Amino acid sequence: MREVAIIGVGAHATGQFTEKPLKELGYTAIWGALDDAGVKPADINVAYVGNSIGGLLTGQEGVRGQVVLQHSGITGIPIVNVENACASAATALRGAWLEVASGAVDVALAVGVEKMFIGDSARTIGALSAVSELDLSQMGMQFTTSYAIHPKINLKARMKEYGWTLADFAKPAVKNSFNGSLNPLAQHRRALTIEQVVQSRIVVDPLTLYMCASISDGAAAAVVCSADLAKKFTSKTPVRIASCVLRSGVYRLPDDNRPDTAATTAQAAYEVAGIGPEDLEAVELHDAMAPAELMLYERLGLCGPGEGPKLIDDGITMLQGRVPVNPSGGLCSRGHPVGATGLLQIAELVWQMRGEAGERQIDKRPKVAMAQNQGGLLLGQDSAVYSCTILKT
Amino acid sequence: MNVLHPESILVPADGTQTPCLLGSRCDNCASVVFPQMPVCPACLANGAMQMVEIGRTARLFSHTIARFAPKGFKAPFFQIFVDLPEGPRIFSLVGAECPIEPGVLEDGMDMRLVLEPLADTPESKDLLTYKYVPAASPEKSGKARHA
Repeated sequence: MREVAIIGVGAHATGQFTEKPLKELGYTAIWGALDDAGVKPADINVAYVGNSIGGLLTGQEGVRGQVVLQHSGITGIPIVNVENACASAATALRGAWLEVASGAVDVALAVGVEKMFIGDSARTIGALSAVSELDLSQMGMQFTTSYAIHPKINLKARMKEYGWTLADFAKPAVKNSFNGSLNPLAQHRRALTIEQVVQSRIVVDPLTLYMCASISDGAAAAVVCSADLAKKFTSKTPVRIASCVLRSGVYRLPDDNRPDTAATTAQAAYEVAGIGPEDLEAVELHDAMAPAELMLYERLGLCGPGEGPKLIDDGITMLQGRVPVNPSGGLCSRGHPVGATGLLQIAELVWQMRGEAGERQIDKRPKVAMAQNQGGLLLGQDSAVYSCTILKT
Repeated sequence: MNVLHPESILVPADGTQTPCLLGSRCDNCASVVFPQMPVCPACLANGAMQMVEIGRTARLFSHTIARFAPKGFKAPFFQIFVDLPEGPRIFSLVGAECPIEPGVLEDGMDMRLVLEPLADTPESKDLLTYKYVPAASPEKSGKARHA
């Protein structure tokens, strides 16, 4: 496999852009990435376009990638449409990475784009439920419920087992809302207090409104190329993809004691990259519900069981801590336009690693970083998709 | 009334049957799964799965009250996971006879199956599905519940 570098990233701001169709959201991100990389549409050999619920919500059920890219002047090349729930964009990046790593092409484009504000939030929530297995969504299962009581996370059980409180659940939201307040691309730019998070209205006991990612429009894109060609296009620091691991959930019977799939995915990413969790200097992770960040700390190997709140208390995962987590503001603050999120994470890490993150720049510019993304729910008691990408400069 | 997942539920045709769920049991490793599958997810044997009646009773694994409902549902409503005595741990809802209040359900409590409409909404009132209620709650007439 060839070394692959990300040479350009771009993003559309996240938030409510009711008047903008998918292709307009995509255009801003795509040309942001092209200009950043110093490439022209003719330089792109292949493109992977991630989107999750645009078919259900906009009616454009097929060829969304071709529609989006045509609007940006990219036609004629192989274009692959990627649907992988909330990890669609991370999966698109994997496709682009693999094309270049394999030697099949020199330059590839990965795009993630999502349009969730359509003027009917009940329809949007319904479409979001439909990215889980139908048997579950038809019974009324929602993502919020799954974080609250699903056997894999079961925050209510963690309150008993670990003694975690609502204030502990609020800590990631408070930390990330501060980071988001510094991010001009973020959907929610108000820094929240523990009290505000705990006292916001209950969505699904024990999750409150400010612990949950809201619906969002947004897009992000990345240009990847063979590492030895990076200099041909740009003088900016190339960011190498040290590993890019994609897994699916496994079917778990109640007595299943295999390690969590987010953990095994991260482990595989560490092994391929030749590093361990202690080497990470920045992380963007999938905090669709803020307390999930506490569980993911354990699963990514950043701390032991139950120690998540302490990582925040001790400042370790704060913006200027030893391993800042979600410097962008994460899913709850930066925003979670589901099929774009994986590449929004990548864009943030690239900006941080190049020292281009503005007010939220991590002082000690990270040289090793991880993006962790997941999505969907299966009857077999796992998420459908797990992704971990490790970047190095 | 239409049945939401007809392949997954035994709806009594007459008074000699009681409702239950329909899962698969593996002849090779004895794992039981719900809903039915052709390949055993535990031992990966193909062709060894037999349909079994399960889930007349259950034990509450976890529960929450959703304060926000997707289309076709009415908030607040309980959402639960239950452990069936035959093996599977499944997602389900709570029967209408159970008041929706904190403290009514306790993890670990014994539950029993009821068949009733998915929700009291125009979209869901004519869709029969499986739910659970605390086993200790008084039995109502089967006719009223299963109609």
